[in-house]
Amino acid sequence: MEIFRLALRNLSRQKKRTFLLGGAIAFGLMIVTLINGFAGAFLTNISENFANLAAGHIFAQGVEKSASGREYELIRDDSLLLAAAKEAGIPAKYVTKVSSFDGNLVFAGHTARLTIDGVDFATETFLPERLVFKEGGLAGMKDRQGIIISDPIAKRLDVRPGDRLLVQLKTYSGQNNVGEFAVAGITPDPGIFGSMAGYANKAYVNELLNIGSGEYQTLGFYLPSLDGMDGYGDAFYKAVKARAAVFDRDAAKKETNPIRAFMNQGKNETWAGVKYRVYTLNDLLAQVKQIAEVLKTSSLVILLVLFGIIMVGITNTFRIIMYERIREIGTMRSIGMQRAEVRNLFLSEAMILALGGALAGLAVAGAVMAGLSMVNFGLSSPLFIILKNGHMTFRLDALTTAFDVLVVAALTLVSAMLPARKAARLDPAVALRTVK
Amino acid sequence: MVIVELRDVRKVYPLGKVEVEAVKGVSFCIEKGDFISIAGPSGSGKTTILNMIGCVDRPTAGLVRIGDRQTKDLGDKELTTLRHETLGFIFQSFNLIPVLSVFENIEFPLLLGKQRMHAKEKKEWIDYLVEEVGLSDWRRHKPTELSGGQRQRVAIARALAGKPAIVLADEPTANLDSGTGEQILELMKKINREMQTTFIFSTHDAKIVELADHVIRLRDGLVIENLRNGADASGLCAEGGTRAAASAAGA
Repeated sequence: MEIFRLALRNLSRQKKRTFLLGGAIAFGLMIVTLINGFAGAFLTNISENFANLAAGHIFAQGVEKSASGREYELIRDDSLLLAAAKEAGIPAKYVTKVSSFDGNLVFAGHTARLTIDGVDFATETFLPERLVFKEGGLAGMKDRQGIIISDPIAKRLDVRPGDRLLVQLKTYSGQNNVGEFAVAGITPDPGIFGSMAGYANKAYVNELLNIGSGEYQTLGFYLPSLDGMDGYGDAFYKAVKARAAVFDRDAAKKETNPIRAFMNQGKNETWAGVKYRVYTLNDLLAQVKQIAEVLKTSSLVILLVLFGIIMVGITNTFRIIMYERIREIGTMRSIGMQRAEVRNLFLSEAMILALGGALAGLAVAGAVMAGLSMVNFGLSSPLFIILKNGHMTFRLDALTTAFDVLVVAALTLVSAMLPARKAARLDPAVALRTVK
Repeated sequence: MVIVELRDVRKVYPLGKVEVEAVKGVSFCIEKGDFISIAGPSGSGKTTILNMIGCVDRPTAGLVRIGDRQTKDLGDKELTTLRHETLGFIFQSFNLIPVLSVFENIEFPLLLGKQRMHAKEKKEWIDYLVEEVGLSDWRRHKPTELSGGQRQRVAIARALAGKPAIVLADEPTANLDSGTGEQILELMKKINREMQTTFIFSTHDAKIVELADHVIRLRDGLVIENLRNGADASGLCAEGGTRAAASAAGA
C-alpha cells in the first residue's frame, strides 16, 4: 500500500509527462472501444433494418416447378407452415403474408422500377404501425388500387397523392400484365433499400399476379427480438422438413453469397408439387456477420499495433524516469528497500498509468459514442442500413471491454518491466555515485 | 564492545581499461557508541570505506564485519535487511525523497521490511524525532521548501527512524555553511550521547574532526592514523575485536 502511495506521488512529479503517457493509453483504448461499440451494434442494426424491410426474421416460401422448368413462388395453403411454426414454438410478434412483384410504374412519360409488396392493411399491423407519411396517408388505401411510394420515387415520377399511374408487371406464371394504381401516400426517403419498395393492397396485388385471394408468396415471422432467431429458425426448418419437401438450408448457408444461394435453390432439379424454402435473416446476413467479426478482430489488431507503438514510448519514458531517479533509487536501496520493492514501485506507477488511462479512454469513448449517437444522419443517408432510425448506435460487450482493459494493463506492465528490472538491479553504491 | 571490524580490506574499481585501487588493505575496529570521524583529503577512500561498512558496496578483498555478520557471506536480500535493521544513512546531498513531506521522509524506512511498528507507536516515535531535530513546525513541508540545514536534519531523523545501531554520514556538513554545519554536528553528537548510537562520518574538515572520539585518518587508500580518545587504537581489533563484535551484535 505504501509503495502504491509513493507511486502515485511519483506520477505527480511530471504532470505533463504523466498526462501524455496516460493520454496515449487512453487514446489507444478509446479507438478500440469505439470500433468494438460500432461492431457490436453493426450486426444488430443491419439485422433490425433488414427485418423491418423484409417484414420478418424467419421466412418460408413455397416453390413450384412446371414441366417446362419454370419456377413459381407461391404458398397456396399455409396450414402446414403455420402448424410447423406452432410446433417450433416461434413467439411471433407479427406474422406477415406477403405477395410481391417487381414492376415498372409509368406516369406522364416518367418511369420508375420498384418492388411492390401486397399488404392486407385490414388485418396486418406490422407495416401500418411503422409507416410515416410525408404526404397523403393510410386513408387512401381504402381505394383497392391505392399505393404507397417513397419520396424519391414520387419525385422521379412527378406524382402527388391522388394521381393515378400505370404499372407493368409479370404475373406469377410469367405473363405480361398491366394495372393501375392511385397514389395514396408518400413516405419520407427511407434510404437506398426502402426507396425501392412500394406498398399496395394485397387483394389487388394478388389480382395482378393472377393468384388466388388467400394465396401469397412469402410467410414471415417477426420476432420480439433478435435473440433466439437461429434456434427458432432451426426448429421451424426441422418441423417443415418433417411435413413436406424442403430445400437444403445448410448448404445454402455455407455459400459465399447466401442470398443468391437461397434464391437459386432448386434451379438444377425437378420436383412435383410444392417444395419449401426456409431461411432466417441470419442465414442471409452471414456475410454481414463475418464483417462484424472482421471488425472485432481488426479492433484487437489495432489495439495491439497501437500499443506496440505506445509500449515503445512507455519503455523509453520509464528508462528516462529510472535515470532521473537513479540517486533516489540508490538512497532507497541504502535505507533498506529490497530489489523487488523497487521493481514493484515502477510497476505500480505503470499500473496506475494503465488503469487511469484505460478509465479515461473508456470515459472519452463513452462521451464520443453518446455524441455520435445524438447526430441524426437522416433516413436518406447511405449509411441508413447500419443506423437505427438515422442514428449511430453502439453496443459494448462487457467481457470484450474488460479483456481490452486487461490487455492494456498487461502490455503497459510488460513495457515498464524492463526499466523496472533494471532499476531494481542497480548497485546502490553505483546509483549513489551517479552524477546527473 | 567492537561493533564494526575491517580487516585487510581492499577495493579496486575498474575505470575503463584501468583498475584503480581506492582502498589498499585497511584494518580497524569501531567501538559501539563511539562518534567516529574518518578523515582525509578527497580521493583518500573515505566514501568507499563508508560504503563498505554500509553494505552498499563489497570489498574486493578482506573482511568487513558488522556485529556478528561477515558481509561477504550475505546475498543482496540479506545485505538489504542488514542495512535496514542495523544501519542508518546520512548523505552529503541529503538525498530526501522530493515527493514526500518531512514526516513521510522520516517514516519511509519504517514502511520497509517485514517488521512493522504499530501505527500509534510509529507516529509518536516520528513526532519525537521531528521534535528532536527541531522541525516540529515543518513536518508537512516538502524538502524543496526547506533550507539545506533543515534538509540535513530531516536526513538525520530518517537515519534514526529505524533505531539503528550505527549511523553512517558521508560528509554531512559539506553542503552546509559553517554555522549550520556546526549545529548539525552538535545534533549528531547529542543523539550519539542520548541514544548511544554509533556515528561514523567522513570529513576532510579539521574542525569537525576535533569533535570525534575516534579519528581514523586516511591517505591514498591507507590508514595513516587511528586515534581513540587521543590514544592509538590500531590494537583494538587485536584485543578481541572479532569476539567482541559478536556480543555487540547481540546488544
